[in-house]
Amino acid sequence: MRIGLLTEGGYPYASGDARLWCDRLVRGLGQHEFDVYALSRSRQQEDEGWVELPPQVSRVITAPLWAVEDEERPLGRRARRRFTEYYGELAAAICAAGAPGDLFGADRGRAGSDATVGSEADRFGTALYALAELARETGGLTGALRSELAVAALERACRAPGALRAARRARVPELLTVAARVERTLRPLSLDWYTGDSLGSVNLCHATSGGAAVLPGLLARHFCGVPLLVTEYGVHLRAHYLASATASAPERALLAAFHGRLAAEAYRRAVLITPGNHHARRWQERCGADRAKLRTVYPGMAAARLADTGESTGCADPDTLVWVGRIEPAKDLSTLLQAFAEIRAAEPKARLRVIGAPVDSAEGAQYLAHCKALAARLFPDPSAGAEGGSGGPGGGARPVSFEEIGGPEMPGLAEAYTAGALVVLSSAVEGFPISLVEAMFCGRATVSTDVGAVLEVIGGTGLVVPSSDPRALAEACVALLRDPERRERLGAAARARALELFTVEQNVAAFDEIYLEIASHCPVHEGVLGTAVDPQPFAVPAELHVLGSRKTTEPSARPARTPSWALSKPVPAGEGAR
Amino acid sequence: MSGSLSRTEIPEVGELRAADMPLTSAAAADAENTVSVRDTEDAQNARGAQNVEGAQDTDSTQGAESGQGVRGRASAGVGEPAAGSGVVDPVKALMLRHKELCERAVDPLEIAAELEAQGVTDRTASRFRHRDVFSLAEEMYARVPRGSEPAHSPAHSASARMDSADGTDGSPVGRSRPSSAPFPAAHCVASRSSGSFGARLGRFLLPLLPGAFCVLAVAGARLTHGQLRLGVVAAGILAVTLALRAALRRGPLHATRPTTASPAWTCWLLLYALVGDGLLREAIAGGPDEPWPVSVAPVVALTLSFAPATWCALLFTAAAHRRLTASRGLAEFTASVWPLLLGTFALYLGALATLLGLTARTLGEDPAYATAGGLGALLLLARLLSAHGHTRAPAVALALAGAAEVIALAAVFAARLPGCAAVAVPVTDAVRTWGAGAIPAAICSAAALVLLVHATRSLTRASAHAPSGGIP
Repeated sequence: MRIGLLTEGGYPYASGDARLWCDRLVRGLGQHEFDVYALSRSRQQEDEGWVELPPQVSRVITAPLWAVEDEERPLGRRARRRFTEYYGELAAAICAAGAPGDLFGADRGRAGSDATVGSEADRFGTALYALAELARETGGLTGALRSELAVAALERACRAPGALRAARRARVPELLTVAARVERTLRPLSLDWYTGDSLGSVNLCHATSGGAAVLPGLLARHFCGVPLLVTEYGVHLRAHYLASATASAPERALLAAFHGRLAAEAYRRAVLITPGNHHARRWQERCGADRAKLRTVYPGMAAARLADTGESTGCADPDTLVWVGRIEPAKDLSTLLQAFAEIRAAEPKARLRVIGAPVDSAEGAQYLAHCKALAARLFPDPSAGAEGGSGGPGGGARPVSFEEIGGPEMPGLAEAYTAGALVVLSSAVEGFPISLVEAMFCGRATVSTDVGAVLEVIGGTGLVVPSSDPRALAEACVALLRDPERRERLGAAARARALELFTVEQNVAAFDEIYLEIASHCPVHEGVLGTAVDPQPFAVPAELHVLGSRKTTEPSARPARTPSWALSKPVPAGEGAR
Repeated sequence: MSGSLSRTEIPEVGELRAADMPLTSAAAADAENTVSVRDTEDAQNARGAQNVEGAQDTDSTQGAESGQGVRGRASAGVGEPAAGSGVVDPVKALMLRHKELCERAVDPLEIAAELEAQGVTDRTASRFRHRDVFSLAEEMYARVPRGSEPAHSPAHSASARMDSADGTDGSPVGRSRPSSAPFPAAHCVASRSSGSFGARLGRFLLPLLPGAFCVLAVAGARLTHGQLRLGVVAAGILAVTLALRAALRRGPLHATRPTTASPAWTCWLLLYALVGDGLLREAIAGGPDEPWPVSVAPVVALTLSFAPATWCALLFTAAAHRRLTASRGLAEFTASVWPLLLGTFALYLGALATLLGLTARTLGEDPAYATAGGLGALLLLARLLSAHGHTRAPAVALALAGAAEVIALAAVFAARLPGCAAVAVPVTDAVRTWGAGAIPAAICSAAALVLLVHATRSLTRASAHAPSGGIP
């Protein structure tokens, strides 16, 4: 199969987001052919170059989302009129009152009043595709999307009755900023990717993130009928909310509405959506994703080495607790230290080793100093003080030590996790807890705080306590420290769970299956056949792919009368369950 | 130790797994070990002892599509205050803690995102008798009183704060800084963010440099003879060119997009102003047979006027940005910028006329107001338009003007070919009637007029004053 991998500021770039995952996916699926369509985020990113590409990547086509192009030829009068109309529709759909969450997501399961919701989503989609068609005809709308026409249309939509409350107060600078941001996201409209020899020729589009990356997929679906698969490890809309916290209210309202509508349209049109964890899945459901289309695919981790060390659990120091991670305030180490004070009151032999990745930011260094000071205050050590540094177990009497990965005592992650009998995670905020998964691979019993995706990751194989609660944390740790047998049982279960759910192989196999599922459900479009036939399931025999050049499947021998059961349109995967 | 704690198994884990993923036997074997150690006080505060069952049910909806979730939700409606059970309203306390967030949020999802970023999970939300963070956020959003206070947007207050800061730091040019918070005032000399007072002064005085070099070169050329004079002139031209390039690289006249053709045509127009009139006169008279007089005064005045041009453009940009933040709509902005543009233009023309008069008197030449004025207006408008992202029209106008001058000269010479005498008639007639200066004056003024019309349409639009491509 030929997969069109759509990325934004991602895969082939050396500094891209999620490039590791994409790289593993592409390398793991050598039987498929990948065309990478990448949108770059900045000149710096382009200058830093690409990662090394495996042979199954047949081509890479890039487009910048940042460059200011030359002034385009202004649109003709008819094109201007059409542009004004379509952009006005788009702006009206954005400005229509009701948050995206209210409109699309909120309890779709209950058969509610979806009529207005649907029409609003349709309106956005229709305007989007109309703009795309106009861009295709005129050769690009980048200039027009930033022009006075666009800003004026946006202003009209904001002032229209029934517009978003916050948008009504939008002033000129905010309108300009919103128009510029919208233009930036809509830049894929002006690309020439949607023809038979580029995106039209792939079997399916796989968007590796939300936002601008799904746009080429949506347009390829619109123009060429290519099925779209959307994968989101972090929900783009949520990231947008967090990133735009400092903007003014009208700006936030308009952009959030725009991204919400775009996400809803992507979820609506996608054949399948694969969130990376339950948290992302909830957000997607909230934004209008149909539950029947959602398949959670957990991220895979290259854990062969960790898993090997997990085989032998005997060598660990039975009284040592280990914390591993990047040292930053969100990890709430002070709670851990306070909890450890209580643990030590119950188990005087206990030790805590805080093993951090090398600190690279000023904030991290400051927090590390703060934690060290707190440790020194909580555990006054007459001989050496608790200023652990990268000391390691040399100071055996010291109850708390701060170490760095890569130091002489701690060459790698595997050693870090296996240094203690128990791995503790004390974060106050966490997304997908990678260090927890790593600990699971190493077969360690864990005590974690109930944040982010922790509960989902750990399943039943470790203890979970409320966050910012030193007492509960201490109780759980003491219970495990006193019960080696239970510790071992939990560790083994955690390891088994991790090996089943969080390996790269699992991830790659899941996507392989999903690709095949989509291919089997979505009729082959004409681009592959080379002739214009109505897309039908099984219209293309499997031999076509083998024989390659022989296009012998001229549909001349079609039955004169189509049986009645075949008259209805083929149902794309996942939509049948509506 | 367990006296103060309530240990409850977490039922949702099993369901979540059942819905999402296959189970390994090993994982299942240890399911009984999953404990959630909750602080009793906290839990009781939050939801009262009688609600424990319900709260656990509500958790189970995620992932599982059974009707249990709906059953659990029945008691706590979405936007409905959770008060009524007699205990202290827990959501209210949460709202107080996140007061700023609730008031700032534009929709419930924003509150949800922010709450999650601060570690609130669905389990936490269940303490507030909500199924998930989303419905908790919805309640918080719905309960915030949202008065109709239209004017006081955050951007407004932010700019007000910055303005007051400006007043206290006593910076001399601080007042000319546009108070637009959302804009990076990158090409604004008075931008506070960049550099010390000295650096700012340097950038402020940089536009004076080309004029100064030009004056020096002309003075040097007057005082020297022969080879030395040639060297002085060459050095002067080089210095002026370099200074112009340096001054144009930043500041309010910096073109957003590079253009290739315009500099060449600009040079040609200036060259014509220097030697063109004399050449035309000689050519009509049948020459040129000997070196003809050059008119230095217009060129010196134009180079000197680069400084007022820059300052005028700065004034225009700064004032336009101020109006941008102050105006409520696009029409209002256009209406307020229109006079500003014409005023700036007139200001520059006045400055140029003054400089022309001065230089002409000093050098003892005829002040060719029409010729130099037209060219100055053309160059200023072209530069102003390029600086605001319209490169196409200025390039066309400059090229047309330059080409017209070339044609005028060429026509006179072409008339000497046999049978082509009629070609030069319009030019010779014009020169005889109004003088040689009329040709460039008419051409440049016409081009400037066209650009002025274009500028009044395009530079008065808000989109011309948008931040240029530098979106983060």
